[in-house]
Amino acid sequence: MISMLHPALRSYAGIPGYIIGWLIFLSAIVLFAYTIKKRYMLLRSGRPDPRFEHIGERIRSLFVYGIFQKRQPRYLWAGLIHIIIFWGFLILGLRSLDLLTQALGIAFIMPILEGRAGAFYTVLKEITELFVLFACIWAAGRRLLARPSRYEGSSHIEAYLVLGLISFLMITDMAYDGISLLILGGDHTGFAPGAGLFAGLFSGSGPSILKTGHALSFWLHIFSFLLFLCFLPMGKHFHIITALPNVFLRRLTKGSIKPARWDVSDLDELDTIGVSSVEDLTWKHILDLYSCTECGRCTDRCPAAASGRPLSPKKLTMKLRDHAYERYPVFGKGMAVKKKDDDEEEIEIPGGIIGEDEIWSCTTCGACEEECPVFIEYIDKIVDMRRRLIETARAPKAFNQVFMHLEKTGNPFGKPASKRSAWTKELEGIPVKILKENDEVDSLYFVDSYPSYDPRAQAVAGAIAKTMHLAGIDFGILGPKERDSGHQVRRMGEEGLFELLKEENREAMEGIKFKRIVTTDPHAFNALKKDYGLDFEILHYSVFFDSLVQKGLLRPEREVEPGIYAYHDPCYLGRHNRIYREPRRLLSALPGVRCVEMERSRDRSFCCGGGDVILWHEIAQEKQRPAALRIAMARDAGATALVTACPFCLIHFEDAIKTAGLEKEMRVIDLAELLVSTL
Amino acid sequence: MGDILVFVEHRSGSIREVSLQILSKADELARGLSGRLTAVVLAAKADFLSSDFSGRADRVIVLEDERLSDFDFTGTAAVISKIIKDERPSLVLMGHTPWGMDLGPALSVRTGLPLATDCVGVSLDGKKIKALRQLYGGKLFARVSFKDDSRGCLLTVRPGSFPIDASPGRQGDLVRIDVPKDLSASSSRFVEYVDTGAGEIDITQAELLVSIGRGVGEKERIEEIRELAGLMGGVLSCSRPVVDRGWLPKYHQVGTSGKSVKPKVYLALGISGAFQHIAGIAGAGTVIAVNKDKKAPIFRVADYGVVEDLFAFSDALKEELGK
Amino acid sequence: MDIVVCVKRVPFTQEVDLEVAKSGKSVVTDSLAHVINDWDGYAVEEAILLKERLGGVVIAVTVGSEDDEEVLRRALAMGADRAIRIDPGESSLDGSVVAKAIAAAIKGFSFDLVLTGVQADDDNQAVVGIMLAEILGLSHAAVVRGIEPKDGELKVRIELEGGIDEIRMVNLPALLTIQSGINEPRYVSVMGIRKAAKKEITVTGIKDLGLSDADLSPATEIEEVYLPPETGGAEMLSGDPSKLAQAVIEIMRRKGVAL
Repeated sequence: MISMLHPALRSYAGIPGYIIGWLIFLSAIVLFAYTIKKRYMLLRSGRPDPRFEHIGERIRSLFVYGIFQKRQPRYLWAGLIHIIIFWGFLILGLRSLDLLTQALGIAFIMPILEGRAGAFYTVLKEITELFVLFACIWAAGRRLLARPSRYEGSSHIEAYLVLGLISFLMITDMAYDGISLLILGGDHTGFAPGAGLFAGLFSGSGPSILKTGHALSFWLHIFSFLLFLCFLPMGKHFHIITALPNVFLRRLTKGSIKPARWDVSDLDELDTIGVSSVEDLTWKHILDLYSCTECGRCTDRCPAAASGRPLSPKKLTMKLRDHAYERYPVFGKGMAVKKKDDDEEEIEIPGGIIGEDEIWSCTTCGACEEECPVFIEYIDKIVDMRRRLIETARAPKAFNQVFMHLEKTGNPFGKPASKRSAWTKELEGIPVKILKENDEVDSLYFVDSYPSYDPRAQAVAGAIAKTMHLAGIDFGILGPKERDSGHQVRRMGEEGLFELLKEENREAMEGIKFKRIVTTDPHAFNALKKDYGLDFEILHYSVFFDSLVQKGLLRPEREVEPGIYAYHDPCYLGRHNRIYREPRRLLSALPGVRCVEMERSRDRSFCCGGGDVILWHEIAQEKQRPAALRIAMARDAGATALVTACPFCLIHFEDAIKTAGLEKEMRVIDLAELLVSTL
Repeated sequence: MGDILVFVEHRSGSIREVSLQILSKADELARGLSGRLTAVVLAAKADFLSSDFSGRADRVIVLEDERLSDFDFTGTAAVISKIIKDERPSLVLMGHTPWGMDLGPALSVRTGLPLATDCVGVSLDGKKIKALRQLYGGKLFARVSFKDDSRGCLLTVRPGSFPIDASPGRQGDLVRIDVPKDLSASSSRFVEYVDTGAGEIDITQAELLVSIGRGVGEKERIEEIRELAGLMGGVLSCSRPVVDRGWLPKYHQVGTSGKSVKPKVYLALGISGAFQHIAGIAGAGTVIAVNKDKKAPIFRVADYGVVEDLFAFSDALKEELGK
Repeated sequence: MDIVVCVKRVPFTQEVDLEVAKSGKSVVTDSLAHVINDWDGYAVEEAILLKERLGGVVIAVTVGSEDDEEVLRRALAMGADRAIRIDPGESSLDGSVVAKAIAAAIKGFSFDLVLTGVQADDDNQAVVGIMLAEILGLSHAAVVRGIEPKDGELKVRIELEGGIDEIRMVNLPALLTIQSGINEPRYVSVMGIRKAAKKEITVTGIKDLGLSDADLSPATEIEEVYLPPETGGAEMLSGDPSKLAQAVIEIMRRKGVAL
């Protein structure tokens, strides 16, 4: 039995331990506060962004996605490791705080940890420490040996450093407790495997070694704990502090696009639009940059990255973050300040930090945002950068004509508006009303541009009109007054043109009475629902027809062409609107359909290449079209027919099948066409 | 009254076809108007005038001066407007060429005579001149008359609008005149001609041209057609919009501002058929046109027409060729 | 370099089935979309490019109604500094009247260069530019597809036929009619055009320009317009793409093409 003072009560070179504790603590706090202040200044430089509505929903998601880490196990093993470490942090944080207060000579937490609760905590802590240590070794091992490709470009040094630091915290605490056991003398009151391990290690040591070990493990723990704290805001492990707020402050809606500015509703009042510099990002988008851990799940799921385009969502965040930190560094003058003195050429984000083709590579499919454990937003940032490129005439020249056509004729092809309803003339015996003011129908069928003009997509519009007719639905179309929904236009960054199209469509709808709007295209559905602010029931045809089948108003009777069918979730029906069930139920209601699921389906569906930019601007670096990759996935699932519910998917997939010469092995069909073939 | 004056264009030592076409038409009009037909040739040395040429007019006015070796606007406009003022012809004709486009409106301002440009037909209603023009890029025809042509009128004529007939054997008096002494200095000066058509391939020598137009839609898809051309042993060519957008180099361009071609077969994919393009394929043996728009003007001049998406057609063609 | 650029708003007729108006002298254009004349878009871009290189002021001019101000706003959004609209009121116009009106409107300005498009998409006349130059006594060149300022002159590239370009030195002040393809006109966003709407557009009545009745009377008159006959021309092939491909291959072989 050795009598020994607590390390904080001992003197070191004549200085009492708790004084040293206060010195370390205060220096750490000053450094930490200074860094946080710098980061806060950067955050403050951002533009307004309302993030405090629906507090209940936010608290709920803080628990679901923050505390309970719901998205982590989407990557099972990495997710488990993270959950262990995260929960370890929560549990062991208390212990570290306890030790810290001991070091400061104000051990107010210790009393709480006495008695039965204390005994329970000690056991919990002991087990957790071993788990965390094991998780750290596992994580480092994965990084070193398995080398998941999604970590490409991430900072490995920082990862190892932090894993090492966490392990060190575990080890120092276990050592401290182990030596304490020896010093206090065999008072094994509970289950303490970690402490026991170190007690065993030091059991033969003499008093001076024990004494030194005891003090060393204590102070090293305190020191590394504070070091860790100060280190956090400097690197990607800032997420330990910002991830929970980031989840709390997340976007609660999907599919919509942020307005040009949250604080200015009238575009005409803006001098510029979009993101040019860090200060043009919203404060929440800057918080996103703090919260990225470089885990790469976004890039792993990105169809643009998969097809060889120069976009990696992860690197986009990293580049923006590094640029922002360079402008607002913790130490020294940033570029934002320097500029005034030296009149340096300012680096623009779009075109400078983020390449133009990188910005145009995004299909806005939302796979990255669906995956991100901390809800980092990409689409709004990309669209804001595009807005800037459009505004400064740096969009691909091919867009000029497309936009001009949309402005002048309401469709991207420049075809006369008067021919917008020409497709209805091909439908024999199926009356399609062209609605005008004071008309009244049950359903307004919003066709949109591709199904109105593109010969392939016209077949889908025909199938929808025929189905509605057979179900006895009183419906009509806006005809020549209909304009493109503007969904793509908005996501390409031409906000003014989008507003114009929106107003024209709203005007065309005025004075017509209808109960609901039914759309061909998930993009139009999403635009009307999320971008237009309409007060009507808006349905994608797949949902509407599913309900008609459920009600018995539609009776699929004829067998479909034999084959194995796989349903492809269009991004703007699935991920952006969470409609997974209805199209599947409709598909399986068709006689003779045998279904398989592709590995990547539902919220992990793989974008066909998209309904916007790709149609008019090819990205040179693309190795393989996303649609071709998707066709391969369908074949891997054993499908012989790919069913989609979006005209763009249809066009891209047909193209990919032709390009690959797979006409005999695989066909693609729209759900509406398949449905109508059974009626 | 009733006299006709024709401004004759030449380049690099030969008379341009459009001038011969105009002289042929002018011969017919001069008979209708019972007037005298005069051709005006301005050159450094008019040694390229064949004996056959002189029979195309009653009188050939030749003005030789070093300064006029190429089209010199200042000199030409001064000389022609002086002749017009002196001789008061009922009708002045020239080609709707880049030079004619510069000269015609200027003469109209200087002489006060009314002008109709880019005429594809000229007819007489008694002694009144009626011009046939195209509007909206050939989508519409318009018959145009002059409010007051009592003092004469000016027409620029679209190249290729009239055939070149055999020389009618007019008198062909050669009249040489001197450059006016008070001729002002040129407002511009000729530097050189540049052949933009020189490139890696020569579309003028190809037996089969696979030609694309605006309908190809995007630069990247051109490769699919290049591949098709390769499969067929043909050469890739295109219409103006494709070059204007920078999708293909200029030496691929067929048409008045590009090359005139004479392949055995000209396969036009997604070309609507602007006249500038049509003029370039006059020498083609057989024209096969593929276009989605069944009203595309190309179908008016093609021998065979296919209404189909050009890529769907091209894919089918590749497949058939592969068999 | 101070530049005046002339623009026109024209109907957008791509794939439109034109309809002859009751008068038989024009087509119905009310229901058509209207755009900036294609060639004029290149002319404006060229003016802005020259301004960006050399400094100066760009003034856009059009002859037309209030609706036609749209093209002026577009020019302003592209970078023009001022805009002038000459309102023709009820006057009937042809190329020579338009040229006289523009000449009267701009003759008091100081400028080094006037740019116009080669021709307009609707009437395809190609007269206003050169007539304007002659009235104002400017040097001029038509169908220009390249401009290089050089020692107080302009080195211009004139597009001739058959892929031949002519290089010419033109004295200043000058007027050039601009051929399509000389540049790539920049896109101006809808928001950009709306913002340009805040810049003032000077409007002058055509009758207030001091022109005589003779000046304002068109020299030409359209007696009749008609749609081209639909028949004639190609023998149309039909069938699915593979049938069509076979037919075309057959024709090519028959015509002596070695496939």
